[in-house]
Amino acid sequence: MTASKILLLGEGPQSEEVAHWLTDRGDEVVRFSETLENYSSADVVIEVIRDSTLRQLALAHVETMISEQIPIFVSGLTAYVAEVASWLKYPQRVSGFQPWLLTSMDVLEVIRPLQMEQEEQWLRATLFWQERGKQVEQVDDCPGMVFPRILAMVVNEASFALGEGVASAKDIDIAMKHGTNYPFGPLEWADRIGLDEIISVLQGMHVHLGEDAYRPAPLLQKLTYAKRFGQSSGRGFYSYLAQTDGQGAAH
Amino acid sequence: MEKAIIAVVGGGTMGNGIAEVFAVAGHSVYLYDVALEIREKALFDITDRLRRKSGRGKLSEPVEVILQRIRTVDTLDELHQAELVIEAVVERMDVKQQIFSVLDQICSQTAILATNTSSLSITETASVTKHPERVVGMHFFNPAPVMRLVEVVAGQFTEAFVVEKVVQIASEVGKLAIRVTDTPGFVVNRVARPFYLEALRIAGSQVASVQAIDRIIKSTGFKMGPFELQDLIGIDVNYAVTASVYESYFQESRFRPHGLQRSMVQSGNIGKKTGRGYYSYDRQ
Repeated sequence: MTASKILLLGEGPQSEEVAHWLTDRGDEVVRFSETLENYSSADVVIEVIRDSTLRQLALAHVETMISEQIPIFVSGLTAYVAEVASWLKYPQRVSGFQPWLLTSMDVLEVIRPLQMEQEEQWLRATLFWQERGKQVEQVDDCPGMVFPRILAMVVNEASFALGEGVASAKDIDIAMKHGTNYPFGPLEWADRIGLDEIISVLQGMHVHLGEDAYRPAPLLQKLTYAKRFGQSSGRGFYSYLAQTDGQGAAH
Repeated sequence: MEKAIIAVVGGGTMGNGIAEVFAVAGHSVYLYDVALEIREKALFDITDRLRRKSGRGKLSEPVEVILQRIRTVDTLDELHQAELVIEAVVERMDVKQQIFSVLDQICSQTAILATNTSSLSITETASVTKHPERVVGMHFFNPAPVMRLVEVVAGQFTEAFVVEKVVQIASEVGKLAIRVTDTPGFVVNRVARPFYLEALRIAGSQVASVQAIDRIIKSTGFKMGPFELQDLIGIDVNYAVTASVYESYFQESRFRPHGLQRSMVQSGNIGKKTGRGYYSYDRQ
């Protein structure tokens, strides 16, 4: 494997995990900043920005500084990768990937959007992940992909149940771990991944698939408005703040 | 403190598993079933499981001592001494209500009447009794001696102390008891729906294959993927639970069953038990 100089677009815990994972594999990671820097020496671009407007601006800006050959890997969590590719002048080098649990999963979900017509481009894109130890699973271009879509919907249902007073957060997590063998309770899992991440996947599916089934639970919406994103912000479904007893559930 | 006398109504898989749990924990257990062959099979199955456990060194008492605590009976009248009655008969409201109207009359005023159900309303079952405040749900998971979770379900009129008492008794016999309100699917069967349904929608819309979905989900820490798990549970059983939750929530779109499930059920390939479901299995 040849180490790459990777320009990483995105902020927050998700991009930290990506940066950490790449650095561990010997890649050089350069972070994107608003000041006009020259990124022309980067040979790969990876993007994990949630906000649609910001990602469009960042990608357009970066594209002016890199050659048309540089592969761009974008998150497939919240939009069609074909749409993200369409924002670029050279969309045929854009492919999608699933960034959640990048450090712990052996498998990586990848997307070949319609614009990536050349087989060679696609092989090069998958090789990038394979060389870094991932077993790639190609999935079709659909917001939420596989794991985030399933987990976000499980968390959403747990949020509806919690909001409706069906059981406490702690009891819901116990129920799913011991009644059906989940590795983590859905609410503690959401706190780890981030409620902001979970809700952006739900909103992406709600908008793009247009089905009522993907409507985010009211409680999930309110918690994210209140910036209770989970472990990253100190509070989510549970509290992680030092001054509390450590077990303080939101409900 | 004296351990509560337990009665279990129904000697099938769930009923005899529940009887075993309480007998192992030192409770006297009355096990009721109308059918002689079911009573005999219940005792046979319990004995068989206890002997195996004993062989693995998992019991602190001889099997015979535990078995002596279980008395099979063929009339409900014989359950009048019980302090906690757990009904575990077929999931039919008319059958459950018939039993509860009798239990309500023969049991002492202080006895707690519990129904083991995964899909029926506790409030509706309790409605035929004079004292719905002492009726509670106890949703055990199959196999009851192995699975630690019990959903303790408060009906519309269940007294809080009844719920707490049942949580306490369940905890003392080694179960993880959680408190749940009487809503369709309670927690587990409701929150687990999207695990199967989203996987079905993803497969149905050709976003990923059944095999790829299972590989991806297992890579995140689940022991089984959603399709392997449906094959194990029985695609027919899984489909029936989904359809029941969907109807109970007045056709809420989140719970809408998927055509692929129905098609599998219609084909007769409903999982491991038929040798074929989403995967093929060698029949033994």
